[in-house]
Amino acid sequence: MGTYVVRRVLGMIPMMFLITVFVFLIMHAAPGNAFDAIMNPAIKDIEQLKQQLEHNAGLDKPLWWQYVHWLGLFVTGNWGFSFNHHVPVTQLIGPAIRNTLILGILAEVLTIAVGVPFGIVQARNPYGKFDYTSNVVLFCLYSVPFFVFAIFMIYFFAIDLQWFPAQGSTGTGPGAGSIGDHLYHALLPALSLALVNSTVYSRYTRGSMLDVSRKDYVRTARAKGLDEGRVFTKHVFRNGMIPIVTQFGLDFGSLVGGLIITEGIFQYQGMGQLVIDAVNGRDYNVIMATTVLIAFGVLIGNLLADILYAVVDPRIRYD
Amino acid sequence: MSANTATATETQAQPRGRVSKSPTRLAFERFMYNKAAVVSVIVLLLIIFISIGAPLFTHLDPTHQYLMETDAPPGGVHVLGTDKNGFDLFSRDLYGGRNDLLIGFVDTIIVMAIGILLGGLAGYYGGWVDSLIMRFCDFMLNFPFLLLIIVLTSIFNSSGVWLLIVVIAIVFWPPTTRLVRGLFLNLRESEFVLAAKMAGAGPWRIMFRHMLPNIMGTIVVNATFTMANLIASEAALAVIGFGVQPPNPSWGNVLYDALDYFTLKGEPWVWLPPAALLTITILCINFIGDGLRDAFDPSFEK
Repeated sequence: MGTYVVRRVLGMIPMMFLITVFVFLIMHAAPGNAFDAIMNPAIKDIEQLKQQLEHNAGLDKPLWWQYVHWLGLFVTGNWGFSFNHHVPVTQLIGPAIRNTLILGILAEVLTIAVGVPFGIVQARNPYGKFDYTSNVVLFCLYSVPFFVFAIFMIYFFAIDLQWFPAQGSTGTGPGAGSIGDHLYHALLPALSLALVNSTVYSRYTRGSMLDVSRKDYVRTARAKGLDEGRVFTKHVFRNGMIPIVTQFGLDFGSLVGGLIITEGIFQYQGMGQLVIDAVNGRDYNVIMATTVLIAFGVLIGNLLADILYAVVDPRIRYD
Repeated sequence: MSANTATATETQAQPRGRVSKSPTRLAFERFMYNKAAVVSVIVLLLIIFISIGAPLFTHLDPTHQYLMETDAPPGGVHVLGTDKNGFDLFSRDLYGGRNDLLIGFVDTIIVMAIGILLGGLAGYYGGWVDSLIMRFCDFMLNFPFLLLIIVLTSIFNSSGVWLLIVVIAIVFWPPTTRLVRGLFLNLRESEFVLAAKMAGAGPWRIMFRHMLPNIMGTIVVNATFTMANLIASEAALAVIGFGVQPPNPSWGNVLYDALDYFTLKGEPWVWLPPAALLTITILCINFIGDGLRDAFDPSFEK
């Protein structure tokens, strides 16, 4: 297992390298740069100022030089300055990562906490009335795009009932920045992500539990007189969870995608919002740093899912 | 009971030279039996009709800004009012469907074509071809795809949809390729493939004439769900401002322009219709996919 993890982590390095090269090239192919937007009537010679700023940022150098320069600084921990916010990139990214982690973990916990038990309830009494109606309802829910959910959530819970804030990641006033305040702001976006995703988990859980409960060893367990509860917890549940864990790993990329869009809708100051602003403002250093971190997050997430897979299914061995 | 008599009449009819039903015909009949799917086809056709035939329902230009009449409530010339930029909402909702459906259809075709070609090659040949294609797939799956779309669409900041279609296709082909590869791998060692090989058929002939028809059902079902996913993804991008660019309308970018406190609170006619149209379209496509799955594979969940 140890060597497997090391090999996988080493395998990420060329992948990360390729991703940074791609994003770097694409980013510089975009028309305009961060300094095009400077408009201040007090400045006499904007053109000269622009050239000065571009020179300071190294934008007048050849592309390969810029990339090597960036890479050299990046690996030593110097992630550069944001062109638009005039602070070190690390200062922007720190709180953004924290906010995104809060939102992502909350959304994932809600997804699993709602989806898996629901699927289990369905599977305990399959092909009954409850199973049938809930399947239809889940199928319809699954077809609702999550951003439509988000808009309805904002409309009902933030605007109409005013229970939750419609946007932002922290409030103002004395309680701002506390854990409770963070969770309070993250709950609405997390719910809108979780509700739709949880239908996917319900369907998978139901299907996989039903598959397992038809297996011979489950019949054996029943035949030897084990009560239904123990058959379920000991024999069906654990084996039924294996495909769910795989699903979790496969979902990781789309969770990150969903987070970016949800943050955009809720103006939630996480990594997604940072990326959107950085791309719009051509803030090169921020784009690079956020890309590296997001790609790294996806890769680590997939690795974690693979490790988890081996934990729930002892038959899987990585040697 | 009725099934028994049906088979009985069929076997009786056989000697008199009646041809038994083809698998496609049987699948079609099973599909027609699924009411939700049939209704969905009708509703989807209706949505396609009002989008393509938009000029029949409104004579207003969806890309024209009526600057003197911004934020107008429904009624009068503007059936659904105008948004804060002065765009006529009714015409935008109708014409917007064109872009969403165009992206959905064209991208599904591109994604399926790439998936069948690459997945087929990987599954049929195996070996280094397989590992090369699959490593590339892995790379694309690990790539922060939304970022790629965001960056690419903002680079070529045009209001045309064709660039967006290409970008979305680039991003969405890997899952389909994986699926097709798996299907081809399953069939590779079958007797009929061996028979075709021994009869001297070339690899392309075996792949497309012998193997592909066998997995067409699964591919069609996958294509339907992929289309729903593609339409939702484009709309999701548009909702944060990176999909179809205004003034070109799409359901997603109508929603994007509605995302402020006052519009959400007081002007539901701005955001409710595009949200409903999107949801209904995606729901219909998913129901059709569900019906197709039952039609092609009667053993599934039955």
